Amino acid sequence: MAMDLQFEVSMFITIVIPLFLGAFVMYIVRALKGPTIPDITLAIDCLSYDLAAFLALLSIYFRSPILIPCAIVLALWVYALDIYVAKYLLKKEMGE
Amino acid sequence: MASTLDWVLVSIGEILVAIGVFFDIVAAIGMLRFPNFFVRLHAATIGAIGGAFVPLIGVAIMSVGCDFLGRYRFFIAGAAAVTAVLILILAPVGSHVLAKAAHESRTAVVQPKVVDHLEEDRMTRGEEK
Repeated sequence: MAMDLQFEVSMFITIVIPLFLGAFVMYIVRALKGPTIPDITLAIDCLSYDLAAFLALLSIYFRSPILIPCAIVLALWVYALDIYVAKYLLKKEMGE
Repeated sequence: MASTLDWVLVSIGEILVAIGVFFDIVAAIGMLRFPNFFVRLHAATIGAIGGAFVPLIGVAIMSVGCDFLGRYRFFIAGAAAVTAVLILILAPVGSHVLAKAAHESRTAVVQPKVVDHLEEDRMTRGEEK
Protein backbone atom coordinates (compact mmCIF):
# COMPACT_ATOMS: atom_id res chain seq x y z
CA MET A 1 0.00 0.00 0.00
CA ALA A 2 1.30 3.46 -0.81
CA MET A 3 0.30 5.12 2.45
CA ASP A 4 1.34 3.75 5.82
CA LEU A 5 -1.59 2.28 7.83
CA GLN A 6 -0.65 4.16 11.00
CA PHE A 7 -0.55 7.52 9.19
CA GLU A 8 -3.90 6.84 7.51
CA VAL A 9 -5.62 5.91 10.79
CA SER A 10 -4.17 8.94 12.57
CA MET A 11 -5.29 11.25 9.76
CA PHE A 12 -8.81 9.79 9.86
CA ILE A 13 -9.07 10.21 13.63
CA THR A 14 -7.82 13.81 13.50
CA ILE A 15 -10.64 14.52 11.04
CA VAL A 16 -13.28 12.82 13.22
CA ILE A 17 -12.27 14.38 16.57
CA PRO A 18 -13.57 17.93 15.85
CA LEU A 19 -16.90 16.52 14.63
CA PHE A 20 -17.29 14.62 17.90
CA LEU A 21 -16.39 17.77 19.86
CA GLY A 22 -18.99 19.76 17.88
CA ALA A 23 -21.65 17.24 18.85
CA PHE A 24 -20.52 17.41 22.49
CA VAL A 25 -20.85 21.20 22.49
CA MET A 26 -24.43 20.91 21.19
CA TYR A 27 -25.28 18.37 23.89
CA ILE A 28 -23.79 20.64 26.55
CA VAL A 29 -25.84 23.57 25.25
CA ARG A 30 -28.99 21.45 25.57
CA ALA A 31 -27.91 20.28 29.03
CA LEU A 32 -27.46 23.90 30.19
CA LYS A 33 -30.56 25.19 28.42
CA GLY A 34 -32.83 22.23 29.16
CA PRO A 35 -35.99 23.63 30.82
CA THR A 36 -36.85 20.49 32.83
CA ILE A 37 -34.80 17.99 34.85
CA PRO A 38 -35.44 15.08 32.43
CA ASP A 39 -34.10 17.20 29.57
CA ILE A 40 -30.85 17.79 31.40
CA THR A 41 -30.40 14.13 32.30
CA LEU A 42 -31.23 13.11 28.74
CA ALA A 43 -28.56 15.45 27.37
CA ILE A 44 -25.98 14.22 29.91
CA ASP A 45 -27.03 10.64 29.11
CA CYS A 46 -26.36 11.04 25.40
CA LEU A 47 -23.24 13.12 25.96
CA SER A 48 -21.67 10.41 28.10
CA TYR A 49 -22.50 7.53 25.79
CA ASP A 50 -20.86 9.41 22.93
CA LEU A 51 -17.97 10.28 25.24
CA ALA A 52 -17.46 6.54 25.83
CA ALA A 53 -17.20 6.02 22.07
CA PHE A 54 -14.87 9.01 21.85
CA LEU A 55 -12.63 7.54 24.55
CA ALA A 56 -12.40 4.26 22.66
CA LEU A 57 -11.46 6.16 19.52
CA LEU A 58 -8.84 8.17 21.38
CA SER A 59 -7.29 5.01 22.80
CA ILE A 60 -6.46 4.00 19.21
CA TYR A 61 -5.16 7.48 18.46
CA PHE A 62 -2.87 7.57 21.50
CA ARG A 63 -1.95 3.90 21.00
CA SER A 64 -2.44 3.11 24.71
CA PRO A 65 -5.29 1.02 26.19
CA ILE A 66 -5.41 3.09 29.41
CA LEU A 67 -8.61 4.93 28.38
CA ILE A 68 -10.74 1.90 27.62
CA PRO A 69 -11.83 0.74 31.12
CA CYS A 70 -12.98 4.29 31.78
CA ALA A 71 -15.35 4.05 28.79
CA ILE A 72 -17.02 0.92 30.19
CA VAL A 73 -17.45 2.48 33.63
CA LEU A 74 -18.78 5.70 32.11
CA ALA A 75 -21.50 3.83 30.18
CA LEU A 76 -22.57 1.99 33.35
CA TRP A 77 -22.47 5.11 35.49
CA VAL A 78 -24.68 7.13 33.15
CA TYR A 79 -27.25 4.35 33.21
CA ALA A 80 -27.25 4.56 37.01
CA LEU A 81 -27.76 8.33 36.72
CA ASP A 82 -30.86 7.74 34.61
CA ILE A 83 -32.29 5.31 37.15
CA TYR A 84 -31.61 7.63 40.10
CA VAL A 85 -33.18 10.65 38.40
CA ALA A 86 -36.22 8.62 37.36
CA LYS A 87 -36.58 7.18 40.85
CA TYR A 88 -36.29 10.65 42.37
CA LEU A 89 -38.86 12.13 39.99
CA LEU A 90 -41.35 9.36 40.69
CA LYS A 91 -41.08 8.83 44.41
CA LYS A 92 -39.01 11.79 45.63
CA GLU A 93 -36.49 9.38 47.18
CA MET A 94 -33.25 7.93 45.81
CA GLY A 95 -33.61 4.43 47.24
CA GLU A 96 -30.75 4.58 49.72
CA MET B 1 3.90 -3.59 6.12
CA ALA B 2 0.19 -3.80 6.81
CA SER B 3 -1.39 -6.75 5.02
CA THR B 4 -4.52 -6.33 2.93
CA LEU B 5 -6.58 -7.90 5.75
CA ASP B 6 -5.49 -5.06 8.04
CA TRP B 7 -6.47 -2.52 5.41
CA VAL B 8 -9.89 -4.16 4.96
CA LEU B 9 -10.55 -4.22 8.71
CA VAL B 10 -9.40 -0.63 9.19
CA SER B 11 -11.50 0.64 6.29
CA ILE B 12 -14.61 -1.17 7.58
CA GLY B 13 -13.99 0.30 11.02
CA GLU B 14 -13.51 3.77 9.63
CA ILE B 15 -16.74 3.57 7.61
CA LEU B 16 -18.62 2.57 10.76
CA VAL B 17 -17.01 5.36 12.78
CA ALA B 18 -17.87 7.87 10.04
CA ILE B 19 -21.51 6.71 10.03
CA GLY B 20 -21.51 6.94 13.84
CA VAL B 21 -20.19 10.50 13.80
CA PHE B 22 -22.86 11.48 11.28
CA PHE B 23 -25.59 10.02 13.52
CA ASP B 24 -24.00 11.74 16.50
CA ILE B 25 -24.15 15.20 14.89
CA VAL B 26 -27.69 14.64 13.62
CA ALA B 27 -28.80 13.58 17.11
CA ALA B 28 -27.08 16.58 18.67
CA ILE B 29 -28.84 18.97 16.30
CA GLY B 30 -32.09 17.13 17.02
CA MET B 31 -31.58 17.53 20.74
CA LEU B 32 -31.25 21.28 20.26
CA ARG B 33 -34.11 21.90 17.90
CA PHE B 34 -36.91 19.58 18.99
CA PRO B 35 -39.82 21.27 20.83
CA ASN B 36 -40.28 19.22 24.01
CA PHE B 37 -38.81 16.41 26.06
CA PHE B 38 -40.73 13.55 24.46
CA VAL B 39 -39.73 14.50 20.93
CA ARG B 40 -36.15 14.87 22.12
CA LEU B 41 -36.27 11.23 23.19
CA HIS B 42 -36.12 10.31 19.50
CA ALA B 43 -32.92 12.31 19.10
CA ALA B 44 -31.54 10.83 22.31
CA THR B 45 -31.96 7.22 21.23
CA ILE B 46 -30.41 8.01 17.85
CA GLY B 47 -27.51 9.67 19.66
CA ALA B 48 -27.15 6.76 22.06
CA ILE B 49 -27.39 3.87 19.60
CA GLY B 50 -26.27 5.37 16.28
CA GLY B 51 -23.85 7.81 17.90
CA ALA B 52 -22.25 5.48 20.45
CA PHE B 53 -22.92 1.85 19.55
CA VAL B 54 -21.96 2.09 15.86
CA PRO B 55 -18.65 3.95 16.40
CA LEU B 56 -17.75 1.54 19.18
CA ILE B 57 -18.26 -1.44 16.88
CA GLY B 58 -16.22 0.48 14.29
CA VAL B 59 -13.45 1.05 16.81
CA ALA B 60 -13.53 -2.62 17.79
CA ILE B 61 -13.11 -3.73 14.16
CA MET B 62 -10.57 -1.00 13.39
CA SER B 63 -8.37 -1.74 16.38
CA VAL B 64 -8.01 -5.40 15.37
CA GLY B 65 -6.73 -4.23 12.01
CA CYS B 66 -4.25 -1.68 13.40
CA ASP B 67 -1.08 -3.77 13.64
CA PHE B 68 0.95 -0.76 14.86
CA LEU B 69 -0.79 -1.14 18.22
CA GLY B 70 0.89 -4.48 18.89
CA ARG B 71 -0.77 -6.55 21.68
CA TYR B 72 -2.93 -3.65 22.83
CA ARG B 73 -5.24 -3.86 19.82
CA PHE B 74 -7.02 -6.98 21.15
CA PHE B 75 -7.50 -5.32 24.53
CA ILE B 76 -9.02 -2.22 22.89
CA ALA B 77 -11.16 -4.35 20.55
CA GLY B 78 -12.54 -6.47 23.40
CA ALA B 79 -13.28 -3.55 25.68
CA ALA B 80 -14.89 -1.55 22.86
CA ALA B 81 -17.11 -4.52 21.98
CA VAL B 82 -18.12 -4.94 25.64
CA THR B 83 -18.96 -1.23 25.90
CA ALA B 84 -20.96 -1.43 22.68
CA VAL B 85 -23.05 -4.36 23.94
CA LEU B 86 -23.56 -2.60 27.27
CA ILE B 87 -24.74 0.58 25.59
CA LEU B 88 -27.02 -1.43 23.30
CA ILE B 89 -28.78 -2.84 26.37
CA LEU B 90 -28.63 0.11 28.76
CA ALA B 91 -29.50 3.08 26.56
CA PRO B 92 -33.07 2.09 25.69
CA VAL B 93 -33.82 1.03 29.27
CA GLY B 94 -32.44 4.29 30.63
CA SER B 95 -34.43 6.50 28.28
CA HIS B 96 -37.58 4.43 28.86
CA VAL B 97 -37.33 4.81 32.62
CA LEU B 98 -36.65 8.52 32.24
CA ALA B 99 -39.64 8.98 29.92
CA LYS B 100 -41.97 7.13 32.31
CA ALA B 101 -40.78 9.21 35.23
CA ALA B 102 -41.04 12.46 33.30
CA HIS B 103 -44.57 11.72 32.12
CA GLU B 104 -45.89 10.41 35.43
CA SER B 105 -44.41 13.20 37.53
CA ARG B 106 -45.55 15.79 34.93
CA THR B 107 -42.20 17.59 35.09
CA ALA B 108 -41.95 17.44 31.28
CA VAL B 109 -45.04 19.12 29.86
CA VAL B 110 -46.37 17.78 26.55
CA GLN B 111 -46.35 21.12 24.65
CA PRO B 112 -47.60 20.71 21.07
CA LYS B 113 -50.12 18.07 22.08
CA VAL B 114 -52.71 16.52 19.74
CA VAL B 115 -53.87 13.74 22.05
CA ASP B 116 -52.35 12.08 25.14
CA HIS B 117 -54.03 8.72 25.76
CA LEU B 118 -51.70 7.88 28.63
CA GLU B 119 -52.79 11.01 30.45
CA GLU B 120 -56.46 10.18 29.86
CA ASP B 121 -55.93 6.62 31.11
CA ARG B 122 -54.17 8.00 34.14
CA MET B 123 -57.06 10.44 34.75
CA THR B 124 -59.70 7.68 34.55
CA ARG B 125 -57.54 5.39 36.69
CA GLY B 126 -57.05 8.30 39.10
CA GLU B 127 -60.85 8.78 39.52
CA GLU B 128 -61.58 5.07 40.01
CA LYS B 129 -58.89 4.61 42.65
